[in-house]
Amino acid sequence: MEKERFEKVRKHVRSEAALEAGDVLNKIKDNFPDNPEGMNYFYDLLSRQFSEGILPKNGKKVIGTMCVQVPDELILAVDAIPIRVCSGSFPYDNAGAEFMPAKTCSMIKAIMGLFSVENYQKKFDMLVIPTTCDQKKKTTEMLTDMGYETYSLSLPSRKDNDNSRHYWQNSVKEFAADLMKKTGKKITTSNIKKAIDLKNNARYEFRRFFNLRKKSPSVIYGKDAFLVANAYFVDEVESWTSALKNLNDELEKRVNKNFSIVNQKTPRFLFTGSPPIFPNMKIPLLVEEAGGLIAVDEVCSSSRLLYDMPAYDEGALYDMIPAIADCYLKPCTCPCFVPNEERKDKLANLIDLFNIDGVIYQSFSGCQLYEMEQKLIGNFLMEKGIPMLYIESDYSKEDTGQLSTRIEAFIESIKIKKKSDLKGKRATK
Amino acid sequence: MNKFKKYINNVNISRFRFWFQIFAFIIMVYGGFLSIDIGENLPTFSCPYIDKGGGTCFLMGLQHRFTLPIDQLISFRGLAVLTSVLFFVSWFIFFNKAWCGYICPLGTLQDWFTKLRQKIGIRYSNYSEAKFKKLKKIKYILLGLLILIPIFMANSIPFIGKLSHDWAVPFCMICPGRTVLPLFQGDASQLVIDYGSKTKMIFTVLGMAITGMFFAGAFFKKRFFCFFCPMSALQFIFKKLGFLRLIKDGTKCTKCGDCYRACDMGIREIADDIESKDIIKDDCMMCFKCVAACPEEKCLKVNFLGKTIYEATEEGFYKRQKGKK
Ligand code: SF4
Ligand code: SF4
Ligand code: SF4
Ligand code: SF4
Repeated sequence: MEKERFEKVRKHVRSEAALEAGDVLNKIKDNFPDNPEGMNYFYDLLSRQFSEGILPKNGKKVIGTMCVQVPDELILAVDAIPIRVCSGSFPYDNAGAEFMPAKTCSMIKAIMGLFSVENYQKKFDMLVIPTTCDQKKKTTEMLTDMGYETYSLSLPSRKDNDNSRHYWQNSVKEFAADLMKKTGKKITTSNIKKAIDLKNNARYEFRRFFNLRKKSPSVIYGKDAFLVANAYFVDEVESWTSALKNLNDELEKRVNKNFSIVNQKTPRFLFTGSPPIFPNMKIPLLVEEAGGLIAVDEVCSSSRLLYDMPAYDEGALYDMIPAIADCYLKPCTCPCFVPNEERKDKLANLIDLFNIDGVIYQSFSGCQLYEMEQKLIGNFLMEKGIPMLYIESDYSKEDTGQLSTRIEAFIESIKIKKKSDLKGKRATK
Repeated sequence: MNKFKKYINNVNISRFRFWFQIFAFIIMVYGGFLSIDIGENLPTFSCPYIDKGGGTCFLMGLQHRFTLPIDQLISFRGLAVLTSVLFFVSWFIFFNKAWCGYICPLGTLQDWFTKLRQKIGIRYSNYSEAKFKKLKKIKYILLGLLILIPIFMANSIPFIGKLSHDWAVPFCMICPGRTVLPLFQGDASQLVIDYGSKTKMIFTVLGMAITGMFFAGAFFKKRFFCFFCPMSALQFIFKKLGFLRLIKDGTKCTKCGDCYRACDMGIREIADDIESKDIIKDDCMMCFKCVAACPEEKCLKVNFLGKTIYEATEEGFYKRQKGKK
């Protein structure tokens, strides 16, 4: 009886999730002109993720990861498949709300909903969760309680001294040892080198993509850029890299032909804060449908995902594994770190590089870290004279109307400012 | 021009340095055989204890010149000290601290030990940064002593009197340059203990011990001796005059630490200091491995007289990492 009821719930939530994903994808595709051909790969992949599920069927071990700090190189080295399981799905968020505390962040609820509705116990050989925010930390124990094999990857709260660096390097070493035990495969200099190269190829294309987005007026919408990075969560590295290479080549042609999707007057935004994860594209879509452009972002589900590259000095495990570790800790601008001055530096740099007119800051309600850091970032941007819109939201659609009014007003104000700036520039010329 | 620049920025600097160091080593250690003598007052350990070397280390002359009574030191004879410093500086400013990274035979020798260790596959040792920071002050103490001791050979210290002649060239007595470099010409005569006097004996024993530490240290910690080298301390005083510069644009830095990881001297500021433009620290040997390891476009640069000759680029970084064995 119980089992049947469970099966019914699962079917229901699944179909709801697939519907939501389909809806959002249609919006992304149909409400905008000039979608690059190269995006079709990513659209198809994400739609398949929700209609068919994307768990690989090739018999390889599957390791679920959360947060950006899990070094996938190690997982690739033991010939397993890393899949980032952070979820942006509202039906799963709803399912999680049944048993999670009311003030939990949507992403955590969605993850917990996903793993309670779907019985993935046999599908994932391990779920790796770094000790980032308190909510992520505690999910580890709850998931263990639900019968999942979990691994808590211990991340320090500081990254600005050598002690924490060594602490983290040791954590990563322990993780590597555990992976070897679980998978029965040894990490060797040659397979880790292969894994680093594989991921670096992906990073190289990602950098190219990042650089192509600097072009103003832009050659690609932010909504598409989010999807490209989101697809990396679930795709195989090699196929993802070659798909992105195709897209980059196409965008390069656009740049050479001086073709752009928007015009000089379109306000350019920097998106920061809690990560939009497909299908939760609510805020990015509202911004771009209202005539803004998300030129770049500083979120862990997109631009931060593959930006930083490791450099090892000696081609031996004792140097390569710590080198990998360093690259996930030192430049990371997650608000779980104190101090996190690097986030301000990075935002300032992005504002310069991408000709940014304004910043959109999203916090998931219940995500204390991003909510609190909003004050610090807000003050910093105010000093720099960059307008910021702060939005607190979750995965539901209830607040869409009210949000779109605020976003439209913000975009209008920036358009007016931009117009007078442009005039001013012309006048001085 | 752009193509050429790109070519240079994609260069594998470690390989270039490896060959350059061999070339410099040959000149410094075997120069005499090739009738090459670069000159005196060199800001590097081209040790005159080598029979047919290619130049002379500044520290030797410096210690001799300071063996003067104070009144003479501040009179016209002090000028000799000054001119020698001038010569030293004029050699120095061309390459700045790259004398250490590219030319010093003792530095090169230590790098070869590192290569050997890597070949065997033994890991390097880590030290806690805090402890090592204190040890690194030793080089300034050595620099002070190598000037003060000669002065006290010519001037009496209250209650003790003048130091005897056995104290002559005190740093040379303990410098691995004297004991190790002549070995490359088959000359092991410096590897002996001098029983002539108590002072001499202590000095030569100390010299042997330091030589032992030089070898053992170089094997486990990259450039171990360089942390304590008074030449490096002396060079650092004049770093502002150097034509060759290591420049950082902190706004482009993500503090990723890739440069810090590459740095054989463990200079953390190279990653964490985003304020300084002129980023040379006292231990830096200007090897420029950090520039090669930086993935941020134009974040670290090598300038010569204000002109950029080598800089970090995304492409160069990616190529070098991919090409790693
Ligand atoms: S610091 Fe090292 S490389 Fe420089 S002079 Fe001293 S021994 Fe030579
Ligand atoms: S022994 Fe050392 S300090 Fe003295 S001259 Fe030789 S290299 Fe220079
Ligand atoms: S490698 Fe470059 S970006 Fe990274 S910390 Fe060093 S200087 Fe900064
Ligand atoms: S800071 Fe750079 S140039 Fe200086 S020693 Fe370190 S790696 Fe070499």
